[in-house]
Amino acid sequence: MRISIEGVGIVFRKGVRVLDGISIDVASGDFVALLGPSGCGKSTLLNAVAGLLDPAECSVEGRIALDGGRSSARRLGYVFQRDTLLPWRTLEENIHVGMEIHGMPTARRQQRTVELIALVGLQGFERYYPHQVSGGMRQRVQLVRTLAYEPEAILMDEPFGALDAQNRMLLQAELLRMWDRRRTTIVFVTHDLAEAITLAQRVVVLSKRPGRVKRVFDIPLPSPRDPFELRASRQFAELETRIWAELRDEFRVAPA
Amino acid sequence: MRTLSLAARRLAFVAALLLLWEALTGGFGTPAVLDPIIVARPSAALRELARYSDSGLLVKDVTATLEAATIGLLLGIAGGVLFGLVLGYARPVAETVEPVLVAFNSLPRIALAPVLIIAFGLGIASKVFLALFTVFFVIFFNTYLGIRSVDPELVKALRVMGAGRWQLARYVVLPSVFAWIFAALRTSVSFALSGAVVGEFVGSTQGLGYRMVISAGVLDTNRTYAILLLLMTIAVILVEVAKRVEDRLLRWRPAAQLIT
Repeated sequence: MRISIEGVGIVFRKGVRVLDGISIDVASGDFVALLGPSGCGKSTLLNAVAGLLDPAECSVEGRIALDGGRSSARRLGYVFQRDTLLPWRTLEENIHVGMEIHGMPTARRQQRTVELIALVGLQGFERYYPHQVSGGMRQRVQLVRTLAYEPEAILMDEPFGALDAQNRMLLQAELLRMWDRRRTTIVFVTHDLAEAITLAQRVVVLSKRPGRVKRVFDIPLPSPRDPFELRASRQFAELETRIWAELRDEFRVAPA
Repeated sequence: MRTLSLAARRLAFVAALLLLWEALTGGFGTPAVLDPIIVARPSAALRELARYSDSGLLVKDVTATLEAATIGLLLGIAGGVLFGLVLGYARPVAETVEPVLVAFNSLPRIALAPVLIIAFGLGIASKVFLALFTVFFVIFFNTYLGIRSVDPELVKALRVMGAGRWQLARYVVLPSVFAWIFAALRTSVSFALSGAVVGEFVGSTQGLGYRMVISAGVLDTNRTYAILLLLMTIAVILVEVAKRVEDRLLRWRPAAQLIT
């Protein structure tokens, strides 16, 4: 799915402008990271694309088109930072939810769940409830729950933000493997520079509030990428230095 | 002591209490600190319980009380869930009627007993209604608050997946509301029992509450205490059953969230 964001600005009802004149074109099959300091409106932009903004709370300028049309009707996936698994469903049943909503036949559902559980190494935990497993495992389920119903684009809002460094890298590796196989369009919000470089084909650097597109970097690292190896490479270090030079000012607190 | 299991320790404690009670009321040839006319001796109460049972009245009374409590409980749950769901969704209506509902909820529901006796007579209907009202408000408020406290993040997550209004109700709203309802199950069971018994206190022709008031009226302390112990046993069993049902239905919850 192609996502075109054209001249989007968002102002909250209280008069705070969070985004200004954002234009980003995400081609079908692209993996784009939105990188910026906290409070720059990255998540708001993602919510706008997903059609989750409450019109009573903010006004949206510009245009967001999914494959040329308006949002909501299309098949989107969204992975939240906070755990949004249904606590009364087992891990397996949580993976079913999206597929049930989209009316996939039971046999197909079960077969897919077996595959996805194996993909993230959760065999044996199918019948556990979310509260019985670790945060890393829950986040894996969130990820495959989204993949399960085959959305045409996946929006991710700092999905690994609450994880420890090791789990974070493991999940990054898993996400990269999935993307290499399926090439689903992904927009990934993060404030972690290394994560953005590791995962994305392009990194969009946003300024501090009101968020504007400061610069877009292509990440020419070859696929398949291994997050554990990547960090030691010279190319990675060079990209990090270049992007950081751009980002540095945005992380500084403005003088009063 | 440390080698004894919890169950054994609890049993020993109950036995000790009974023995102390027996001694204080002049059993075992001890001086009666408590007059057995005022406080019955446990042994005498138990003997009386056997007599009560032999007379055939016990089964009749227990049946009458449990029948009223059960019907009241079921109707109260059904009504509470229904009204809670309707008002939970119809926000403007709910806001309008809220003060009246809060007033009824604040009223000691037991105080409705005389009114219900006037309206429905001495038969089972007035007890059913009293049990129903006591249960209804608990379940109603839990359902209503349950709908209002549905996690908006879960709703958002399912909306992005493409869930429509009915699917949201089915996947998110109802399961989280049921969690609130199940959590009120134990309270409802003991409320229904009190409703039925108090209804019988106020005006009836049978049932444990009725028999108790009659016995107390003629200073038959032994029978009054016998019925009290019986009621306690019935309540403990019913609440335990409700607890098991609740734990089973809410097994997906982290243990810390369960109020024990």
